[in-house]
Amino acid sequence: MVQEKTIPKRPLGRTGEKVSLLGVGGHHIGDLASLDGAAKLVHAAIDAGVNFFDNCWEYWNGRAEAWMGRALKGRRDKVFLMTKVCTHGAGKDTAMSMLEESLRRLQTDHLDLWQAHAMGFDNDPELAYAKGGVLEAFELAKRQGKVRFVGFTGHKNPLVHLDMIRRGYPFDTVQMPLNPFDWHFHSFEKLVLPELAKRGIAALGMKSLGGTADAVKKGIVTAEEMLRYAMSLPVAVTISGMDSLDVLNKNVAIARAFQPLTEKEMAAIRAKCAPTSADGRFEPYKVSLKFDNQVTRLAHGFPIDGQQKEVKEMLAKGNGSWVTGEN
Amino acid sequence: MSELDRREFAGAVAATNLTAAAAAEDRGAVPMRALGKTGVQVSALGLGGYHLGAAPTKDVAIRIVHEAIGAGINFLDNAWEYHDGKSEEWMGSAIKDRRDKVFLMTKVCTHGRGKDVAMKQLDESLKRLQTDHLDLWQVHEVIYENDPDLHFAQGGVIEALDAAKKSGKVRFVGFTGHKHPDIHLKMLAREYPFDTVQMPLNCFDASFRSFENRVLPLLNKKGIAALGMKSLGGDAQPVLHGVVTAEEALRYAMSLPVAVTISGIDCLEVLHQNLAVARSFRAMSPEEMAALRKRCARHAADGHLELYKSTKKYDGAPGREQHGYPDRETLPM
Repeated sequence: MVQEKTIPKRPLGRTGEKVSLLGVGGHHIGDLASLDGAAKLVHAAIDAGVNFFDNCWEYWNGRAEAWMGRALKGRRDKVFLMTKVCTHGAGKDTAMSMLEESLRRLQTDHLDLWQAHAMGFDNDPELAYAKGGVLEAFELAKRQGKVRFVGFTGHKNPLVHLDMIRRGYPFDTVQMPLNPFDWHFHSFEKLVLPELAKRGIAALGMKSLGGTADAVKKGIVTAEEMLRYAMSLPVAVTISGMDSLDVLNKNVAIARAFQPLTEKEMAAIRAKCAPTSADGRFEPYKVSLKFDNQVTRLAHGFPIDGQQKEVKEMLAKGNGSWVTGEN
Repeated sequence: MSELDRREFAGAVAATNLTAAAAAEDRGAVPMRALGKTGVQVSALGLGGYHLGAAPTKDVAIRIVHEAIGAGINFLDNAWEYHDGKSEEWMGSAIKDRRDKVFLMTKVCTHGRGKDVAMKQLDESLKRLQTDHLDLWQVHEVIYENDPDLHFAQGGVIEALDAAKKSGKVRFVGFTGHKHPDIHLKMLAREYPFDTVQMPLNCFDASFRSFENRVLPLLNKKGIAALGMKSLGGDAQPVLHGVVTAEEALRYAMSLPVAVTISGIDCLEVLHQNLAVARSFRAMSPEEMAALRKRCARHAADGHLELYKSTKKYDGAPGREQHGYPDRETLPM
């Protein structure tokens, strides 16, 4: 009977929408070997019952959006499409030009969800809420019918998330890393999830394997345990970066057969992670620049990591026009 | 500085240190300040051990140390792990015939390991530094969130601090860290009698995870000596980008209620520049300090001028290894 089960859908906060509890991460789509491979993965995910698709203006200098756009041609109405805007402190006009680029690359006239990307630096909330900031672009884009819902994302610090939320803008969604290691270290689960529940804002989980799956590779916990843990939290969707059909199939199988873990089972998984979680070693995105996209770093004056593949591609491209959103 | 001045100094509370320091400036000496409740006087400018090991040659390093001591600097900083021992070895060669002229500090680098590792490192440090005792021994790089628990665990490094004091190998003890005031506060909450606490203090810190706002007042209240470091933000990027001048940044750090500002000096030019600031030191007024903080705030609020707080860049290899983090090649920042 398991094969006939479909991937469960959950309400997306108070939006009235329902989304699949497994979502396809856009960053990994842009990192596949070819457009053909990306399209196959997107099509297989849709056929399997996944409707939530994640992306971002800055992933792979636009390639992730462009490939997803090609793959979604003719299937746009089957998906709930999200992408992110990467102003990182720049204003409304930059945001609106990024929106036009995202729509063009994604080959659509509207986004279901548009999120402010990578709120991670301590002054990001102040910059987002500033006069002429990205939140004004949200209002305009909604009025123009180009986006339906809005939210923000970040992987760095739950206190920055709380600051964004408590300043009061009516976000529909908030995205964050959620996994059993998080519980013990700068915890989004403990600090942010309850605040979202209180306000009826949909929680979107990411980095269910800790970003790099290093803890899985070291045998501390299994991928299935981590993914099931993330899906058992009060979230609308767990967005997963999948770099092959094999990984997609494994995740789809877990999603189709999904039964929430009991609180006791969740505590047991957290306990396995506890000895290696208190210093953040398996959540490098919280303590290092490694997971910050280059546009994020440049906008804030942080040095870029020349060893990172995405940065190397950017440097090879050389003209830097994408930095200002002029391409 | 006269004996009378010294006594006045020793009796002064942190806030009045600055007046006395300003008085010392008239004679062109590097100001001396009380090291907390220890009864010891240290120079307001200290010589950092990491950069000493980065000097072009051992001869240059020795000249830096000798000139610094000659100019009135007595506070020397080091750590067991700097440049795999080279910093301690070079400093040891430089001070072997003038050990009594300096207040010698080095740091122990257990990073969570126990007392035995600490005591072994102490003996190595003493050997490299060519001395039979340290004036100050500090737990190095308390920067991981579980470090306080590991250090205070049974058989941990804190027991080594006690044992080393008892054996006469070290006079005073403290800890250091560059990451987050919360971690420092966790260490202090254990109520262990630390003599000193070292931390980054500069005109950017006030706007980002601030040691100045959150740790310094507590130390002053408890009479624990505050040791400042990273007065230029660690790599002087703010100076290179024209946000502040080196002189302004150093003067700001020295104007805080600290015993010493430890400065990384890897060549004689930097030593001379810093000595000039220290010798003519006049504390900034609260208004001047507030104005400088305000000028820096716009650049400082996201932490990109304090990479030691906001990235992994400054986290040393032995600590990463003990905490299971990737090395610098894999996780450079």
